[in-house]
Amino acid sequence: MIRFNNVTKTFSGKTTVHALRGIDLAIPAGEIFGVIGQSGAGKSTLLRCINMLERPDSGEIFVDGIRMSDLDGKELRAARKKTGMIFQHFNLLNSRTVFQNIAFPLELAGYSKKNILERVASLANLVGLTDKLKSYPRQLSGGQKQRVGIARALATQPKLLLCDEATSALDPETTTSVLNLLKTINERLKLTIVLITHEMAVIQQICDSVAVLDDGVVQEAGPVIDVFTRPKSEASQRMLRGFLTSGLTPDQLQRSGNTLLKLTFVDEKAHQPIISQMIRRHQIDANILFGSIDQMKTKPFGMLLVELAGKNEQIAQAIEFLQENQVEVEVLNR
Amino acid sequence: MINQAMLSMLWDATLDTLIMVGSGTILATVVGLPAGILLTTTAPNHILEQPLLHRALGGIVNIGRSIPFIILMVAIIPFTRKLVGTSIGTAAAIVPLTVAAIPFVARLVDGALKEVDAGVIEAAESMGASPPQIIYKVMIPEALPALVLAVTLTAVNLIGYSAMAGSIGGGGLGDLAIRYGYQRFRGDIMLITVIILVILVQGIQMLGDKIAHKLYHHN
Ligand SMILES: Nc1ncnc2c1ncn2[C@@H]1O[C@H](COP(=O)(O)OP(=O)(O)OP(=O)(O)O)[C@@H](O)[C@H]1O
Ligand SMILES: [Mg+2]
Repeated sequence: MIRFNNVTKTFSGKTTVHALRGIDLAIPAGEIFGVIGQSGAGKSTLLRCINMLERPDSGEIFVDGIRMSDLDGKELRAARKKTGMIFQHFNLLNSRTVFQNIAFPLELAGYSKKNILERVASLANLVGLTDKLKSYPRQLSGGQKQRVGIARALATQPKLLLCDEATSALDPETTTSVLNLLKTINERLKLTIVLITHEMAVIQQICDSVAVLDDGVVQEAGPVIDVFTRPKSEASQRMLRGFLTSGLTPDQLQRSGNTLLKLTFVDEKAHQPIISQMIRRHQIDANILFGSIDQMKTKPFGMLLVELAGKNEQIAQAIEFLQENQVEVEVLNR
Repeated sequence: MINQAMLSMLWDATLDTLIMVGSGTILATVVGLPAGILLTTTAPNHILEQPLLHRALGGIVNIGRSIPFIILMVAIIPFTRKLVGTSIGTAAAIVPLTVAAIPFVARLVDGALKEVDAGVIEAAESMGASPPQIIYKVMIPEALPALVLAVTLTAVNLIGYSAMAGSIGGGGLGDLAIRYGYQRFRGDIMLITVIILVILVQGIQMLGDKIAHKLYHHN
């Protein structure tokens, strides 16, 4: 369905960024294909090259046999109408109701009023939003907004759906329901889905195959089961390590010989080198097993899983030091 | 005292002011709106990227906005005369009012359109929308409340300008205030014209706010 041949893309501004450095990738028709990588790995750039929202500097991309970089103007717009896209922040038109949002691509494609009415009704039914057609986006929850995004992306019956971090702005439960919807669509409509994400859990839940992208290069690609159980590249091993550790059960954690702490940082503390200060002051060893920093509204919010080794006395002092610094400490074992 | 003749003069002056401000606002919007759209869409990385045109347009708008109205009014008298045959009176005042308001509108429109979420424009592009479709179906509707407020602000500003135009024989409330209130020491007339001007400004602003609020569906 999609083929990347040695695709490169460089952004030159104040600093030059090699976002894609020679991408070779084949995405089979009918699959849910995941691309995973850390922030800045080049995932969005890769996805946006597929429908030429970003033009590659060199290399070629084929979609359904068509060389996309050959297209321009009218031809490109026609090709884009055959590709749906959904976004992390939904990108709905705030001035339009749900009905009008779903109708938007149909208007662009010149459907008649009657056809639009029928098509929107069936799409709303598919994504479960029949009772929300008259609402405006601001009246919807994140999950509902993404359902509108999905309905809109499917309106012109594309064969390909591109998803840019489609669930990253949603809570875990809503994420699961949206992912399930994507899975249903994939099966029912025989739609190829390319999905980019930084969350292993998303790949694990619905993808058939996965490509691991790191620093603008595809480190490895293949069936999810192979990449997850026998990661070959250093990048996949690194990403999987965090994924597995975060998924460890309390029982598994109890078996550790060292003290395990779960630390929660809120606000500007998330930016301060508290851990290294703790190590220096209290002469203990600390091993960071897993960490994440999230943004809650505008405040950074961090979580670390840390293993401490040292004399009991020093560990107690270290915990006290953390607490004095407004870090929430939870001792997971002992 | 205020007699019948005075009242009818005030009424006529108010109508003149409304005509000047109304025509100036409409004409300036007719020219300024497309100019503002062009200014936004020719910017780097926008849908009609044209760096040279963008910079030229921006330069013209900035120059236009930095000329004081009084000077502009006098400077374009020959142009006004060519256009309407005279340089005094209500019709003649509309010309400098419009010319002064065009760059103002263009800049306000540019500001309003720049606020449209780039992600939404990109979504439209991903659906195969052409640049005109993006402008008419995405940018303008999404920015409509802000555009209404921009036109409102222009009208309010033109009320102030029209009073200035009045002072050099443009007609309207400003003219009346100068001729009677100032030159003939009629404090009462001065006061009434000021009150009418305040009411006009309040009324236009309230109307604009109300329409914008009705159109507003964002968070
Ligand atoms: N339009 C642009 N101009 C300049 N640099 C860009 C542009 N778009 C992306 N980049 C850079 O290219 C690199 C890859 O960006 P990209 O958005 O593809 O990463 P990503 O993997 O999607 O990251 P994230 O998970 O944060 O969305 C980054 O270093 C980014 O700063
Ligand atoms: Mg991205």
